[in-house]
Amino acid sequence: MIIENTLPIMLSRLDFAFITSMHILWTPVTIGMSWLLFFLEVAWLRSGNEKWYRLQRFFEKLFIVNFGAGVATGVTMEMAFGILYGPFSQAVGPFFGNILGFETITAFMYEAGFIGLMIFGWGKIGKGMHAFATFNVALSSSLSAMWILVANGWMQSPRGVVLKDGLFQVTNWWNAIFNPNFDIGFPHMWIATLELSLFFFAAVSAWFILKNRNADLFTTLLKPTLLALVVITPLQIFLGDELGREVAADQPTSLAAMEGHYHTYLPNGKFNTGWHIIAIPNSKNDGNVFAITIPHVLSLLETHTLNGKVTGLDHFAYKDRPDVWVPFYAFRAMVAIGFFLFFMALWGNWLRLQGQLNAAGLRRHPWFLRLLVLSGFLPYLAVWTGWWTREIGRQPWVVYGLMRTWQGVSHMGVTAESAWFIGYITFELMVWGGAWYFFSRIIQKGPDLTSPVIGSAPSENAGGGLAQASFAKPTFGKPTLEKNR
Amino acid sequence: MDHIDQILRIHSALSTFWWILLGLFFVIYIVLDGADLGAGVFSLLLKNENDRAAIMASMAGTWDANETWLVVAGGVIFGAFPLVYGSTFNYLMIPLMFALWGIISRAVAFEFHVHAKGSRKFWGLMFGLGSLIAAFFAGIALGATLLGFPMSTKNAQGITSSADPFANTVPHFSGNALSFLSPFSIWTGIGAVIAGGLAGTLYLCARFKQEDPIYQKAHAWATGFSYLALLAVVITLVWSYAIMPDAAKWTGSGWFGWLVLLLAILFSAYKMMTAHAAHRDFPALLWCGLIVVLMWGGMWATNYPYIVPQTWTIDAGGNPANDLAILTLFMTGFVPVMIMYNAYQLWVFRHRITHLAGYESH
Repeated sequence: MIIENTLPIMLSRLDFAFITSMHILWTPVTIGMSWLLFFLEVAWLRSGNEKWYRLQRFFEKLFIVNFGAGVATGVTMEMAFGILYGPFSQAVGPFFGNILGFETITAFMYEAGFIGLMIFGWGKIGKGMHAFATFNVALSSSLSAMWILVANGWMQSPRGVVLKDGLFQVTNWWNAIFNPNFDIGFPHMWIATLELSLFFFAAVSAWFILKNRNADLFTTLLKPTLLALVVITPLQIFLGDELGREVAADQPTSLAAMEGHYHTYLPNGKFNTGWHIIAIPNSKNDGNVFAITIPHVLSLLETHTLNGKVTGLDHFAYKDRPDVWVPFYAFRAMVAIGFFLFFMALWGNWLRLQGQLNAAGLRRHPWFLRLLVLSGFLPYLAVWTGWWTREIGRQPWVVYGLMRTWQGVSHMGVTAESAWFIGYITFELMVWGGAWYFFSRIIQKGPDLTSPVIGSAPSENAGGGLAQASFAKPTFGKPTLEKNR
Repeated sequence: MDHIDQILRIHSALSTFWWILLGLFFVIYIVLDGADLGAGVFSLLLKNENDRAAIMASMAGTWDANETWLVVAGGVIFGAFPLVYGSTFNYLMIPLMFALWGIISRAVAFEFHVHAKGSRKFWGLMFGLGSLIAAFFAGIALGATLLGFPMSTKNAQGITSSADPFANTVPHFSGNALSFLSPFSIWTGIGAVIAGGLAGTLYLCARFKQEDPIYQKAHAWATGFSYLALLAVVITLVWSYAIMPDAAKWTGSGWFGWLVLLLAILFSAYKMMTAHAAHRDFPALLWCGLIVVLMWGGMWATNYPYIVPQTWTIDAGGNPANDLAILTLFMTGFVPVMIMYNAYQLWVFRHRITHLAGYESH
């Protein structure tokens, strides 16, 4: 057994895997939905149409419940590198530490500096200033994703550094930051946040239409959402394929694990081009006990030729091979979800072409709506399985090819690691359960269609303090809006 | 070699620059979030759930940014002093773990409490207890850091391999999981709760209308906390002087400067207490903040040239000069920008509220 799978090291991996897996449940909505909320706000300000305002305020409630959970678990992440992977943090400090420093200063704090204005600033600051605050939350959270993908991409394909005196000293910042994995990995993740948030919109809308509550309002939202998705979902599949090819070139062990591809050559000496639909790897990690295989597909996928060479795990020593189970099945789950979501986007727009995309027409297609509700959950699973593929595929390295995972683990024993694991399971499940419980409560309560639109009447004690006339004037409200103030 | 010498001087200057900025970020965090955490601790003394909700509402728009200064400080340690980051956080695993659980409970309680019906009491408790635990364990972590920790350059997991390029290079933490525990660190945990209680009650006085019942209760408690805090400061100073080698400089050749600092602290404490007694709430809060700044600055100066006393010097813990230069070039400009938008956000939410704010939900 490789060192990475022995007890203290395995437990440290699980400790980190758990907190990261729980953190990634929140950030996609923060990153993706903040842009969507900004678009809704702009739509309201430009058209003066109240329905965009109602939708914005409704989804904003869900957004902030999600945001609190994201911050709470994010603070843990920022410290967990040093706590659980101290020696790793030290060795990668010159690059990775700097990037995380960039992230806190240019993104984490940037976002925090405007989130309060965005959520509680209604009526306290002008409409233009408020839209600006929403924009800043959107931009800052995307910047945050960018820096994190720079750092993680570098762990997958480290460039621009030399190992000297136990530190990865940077020799070329440009190459280190724009490492080949980041170049495609970041767009893939960023688009994932938009895709997840759009399906969040779509699923909630579908639920309301299915329940025949505010059906017209939510149909209004569903139209642009589905239109955006028909662009986003195939783009995501394309980016995923590009990233797969990058991994094939840069991290052959990870790709071989994803595909359960053990043998570079067939017994007859030709290249092994078979792609497994199902595979059961053996316990020695040197072959499959059972597999259903289609010839040529693997070469087609990775080299875009019928008989191209794809390096198998047998090309690498046992101690350099990742486990196959998780990358293999997680990868397939992610791909299946990606195609299913593309299909949903096509279906929705086909209904639109048929003139069925209205409240009455949609209710004649309850299965579309039901599957759309399901599609609200699937992107979460795709994000999870994608990251599991990525992180377990990189093993046994923490910095691919340069630093083994065991070399980065902190000085800590099994007891402390277990305490961390059990404690975080408790707390993060509380956060998860709580957030989903309150999501469902807010959704069941439905959008508030009666309280006065902000700016149309003075509201006492709104949010966190006395609502005084704001000193910031609306900057791009139209005359019709001015009348409302 | 002359140019090596120059690089070392650049490295030393840049790491000292980031050490000062780090102190600034920490002190901003303590002043701002200390008040929020302290108000959370104080909320445990309230019986009415709506009053607790009013306290949460008073910081609804600002708590996240206030707390994020801690993340910025953490990010700067990682970015500028990764060797310190990777060993100190390892050393502080248990207290940071508890502090983080407190922070998590408190953060989600903010968002859940307003929507809760049946579980409202539970989330109110999570808010108060989370604040208490975060303050207590952050205080323990600070005290433990001041005492330093053992290090070794062997593999942190004790795995030896002939082909390990990381062995015998960078020192890692080498104590055990409970090394942080000492009478002094527990005392600093208690001290943090007392200081937080004072800052929190002063903050509530500045945020609630003076005729409001929450104001009146906070005002009375703030007076009590201020005497407790004074006592705690004296105990901490005497104790530190007795056990910390670096504290010897207080009575060394520069004694006059330290005396001036002490007098400035005492003067600020006096001004804080008189302002508080006269119900000039915002000045009282500012004087309290000034005391924190002076004391934190004094601690930072006492530790010089160490970043972690007797363990990591500023120079030894810093990144290579090239990285510090990059960090300085690209990040320094953001520091005043960060301070400005944070100040704006605090300014927007400056108005006094009443306990009625706790009856609303959004």
